[in-house]
Amino acid sequence: MNITQILFFLLSAMAIFSAIMVLVSRNPVHSVLWLIAVFFAISGHYILLNAQFLAIVNLIVYAGAIMVLFLFVIMLMNLNKDTEPKKNIWMKLAGVVSGGCFLMVLISLVRQAADMQGKAAQTGVGDIGLIKNLGKALFSDFVVPFEISSVLFLSAMVGAVVIGKKA
Amino acid sequence: MNAIIFSALMGVVMMFSGILTQNKSVLKYIAATGLLLLIAANLLNAEAVFSIKVNTHGLISFDRFGLYFNTIAFTATLVYVLLSGSDIGKVGSGLYTADFFALIFFVLCGLSILSSFNGLLMLFLGIEILSIPLYILTGADKRNLKSNEASLKYFLMGSFTTGILLMGIALIYGATGSFAIQAPPIVPSTGMVRASFLEVAGLILLFVSMAFKASAAPFHFWTPDVYDGAPSVFTSFMATIVKAAVFIAFIRLFQGQAVVLGPSWKILVSFVILATLLIGNVTAVFQQSVKRMLAYSSIAQAGFMLFALFSGNDLGKEGILLYTAAYSLATIGIFAVLIKMNDYTLEGFNGLAARQPVLAFVTTVCLMSLAGIPLTAGFFAKYYMLASAVKAGGALWLVVIAIVFAAISVYYYFRVIQAMYFREGEAGTAPISSGFKIMLIIVAALIILTGIWPSLVLSGFYF
Repeated sequence: MNITQILFFLLSAMAIFSAIMVLVSRNPVHSVLWLIAVFFAISGHYILLNAQFLAIVNLIVYAGAIMVLFLFVIMLMNLNKDTEPKKNIWMKLAGVVSGGCFLMVLISLVRQAADMQGKAAQTGVGDIGLIKNLGKALFSDFVVPFEISSVLFLSAMVGAVVIGKKA
Repeated sequence: MNAIIFSALMGVVMMFSGILTQNKSVLKYIAATGLLLLIAANLLNAEAVFSIKVNTHGLISFDRFGLYFNTIAFTATLVYVLLSGSDIGKVGSGLYTADFFALIFFVLCGLSILSSFNGLLMLFLGIEILSIPLYILTGADKRNLKSNEASLKYFLMGSFTTGILLMGIALIYGATGSFAIQAPPIVPSTGMVRASFLEVAGLILLFVSMAFKASAAPFHFWTPDVYDGAPSVFTSFMATIVKAAVFIAFIRLFQGQAVVLGPSWKILVSFVILATLLIGNVTAVFQQSVKRMLAYSSIAQAGFMLFALFSGNDLGKEGILLYTAAYSLATIGIFAVLIKMNDYTLEGFNGLAARQPVLAFVTTVCLMSLAGIPLTAGFFAKYYMLASAVKAGGALWLVVIAIVFAAISVYYYFRVIQAMYFREGEAGTAPISSGFKIMLIIVAALIILTGIWPSLVLSGFYF
């Protein structure tokens, strides 16, 4: 086991543990902080895949900007245990059943999978995540979705103005 | 490509015309003109006379089915704008009429992407361009708490499903290394497709998110609240044209990919059809508000549209086009009348026939079309759907159940007709202009004409 593999397993364990902690934390502020830890672990994975640009963007945009927004909103709403809505026992049961069904489907699929056995995660290879190759892909193969996404942002901006203005 | 580009451009034009004029009827006619241009541009594309060529690297492919669907959807939007366009100006403070029209054009841009996507990336973009303006339109009535609640609910649930959609796309990309929606080749020795488990898991997630967008049970929980809470004008748009677009995307996505799921695909879809028909029809029976009843009826109609997905043959494709036309026309007609009513409950319709005979007659024709009574467009729409399932084979029990549920649906549709014609009451309406009445009669005439002569819609598919 070389150093990248050790790092891979370490980061994976960290990501999964933090993701579970996001869900089980009672305090929403703690959940957000754990979510930042998840993003850091995923950024570590990006670096292992030789995608430095994605790793940095992930940190700046998600762990930085969006999570700070999250924290502000949660702090402004002043959520605590008293304001937490009481959940119906049947709702919880339905959640457990549907989540369990999905888990069962995924596990049975993995058990039957022949094509994934004996394969390890690739680490330290590939250069698609480098900024040069990413730019080339965006402006050649994926130029149409890249341009069309401007319509998406335009409609979101119009919507934000319509919803945000007073009258 | 014409439809995608022109609809996005028209959205921008509408935004800017909002600066120049606040006159609502001018804005309405600008939008109607834009829609006419859009229909013309799309027809030119379909006839290969004039089309803007863009190298999409295989991410979008235009075929006759998608382009013809665009024509039907744009025409339905034109009818919608001419019929209910002046009511869009009355939503909320009335200051954002131009922006609402712009958002409707952006939805149409998403719709034309969904009718022609060839890669999962474009599917994602199309679904998002379709959904985000809808979240805004749902919450357009800002002073109304119900509208706000509906918007927030729709937004939260919709973004959650978008997450599921992205997860599915990521898994499929991980399995195949491409965004293409073509299934892997069939292995001759087993007669099945050799698909990675990641692909199967991804497809299931895609199915869940698309079923949510199409409001198929058991992912329908948002539908009644959102359709009920949203301003009625926009419910009319959401329940018809947008829903049909989601079904087109659903069919495009799974017509090649269904083989990956093997025999379990038919079981999955028939379960969803059964649940959708059951929940939509049975719950609609107990509704007192006509608007909420129409929300449940739209779930029930989604159950019929799912038959096109189930059969996956050409008859089903023809059927979904006819269904789109028939269902959109009828629902737009009913909602146009509903917007004018003072009271949305069943009692509010009491005695409408005596006070407004034209409105009552057109509502009756629309309701009969929704119920699938012969001589209306809805009959042939349902007929094509069930015929395609029979042709696909192996699901006669499902067809029989669907017919039973269609019979149940007659009960709750006819309760409105009964209230209008056979109950005494003071059905109050907003002032009705004669132009509105003429438009309503045109809609009713179109429904009956398509009911007598369905090839009116279908012939355009081939010629």
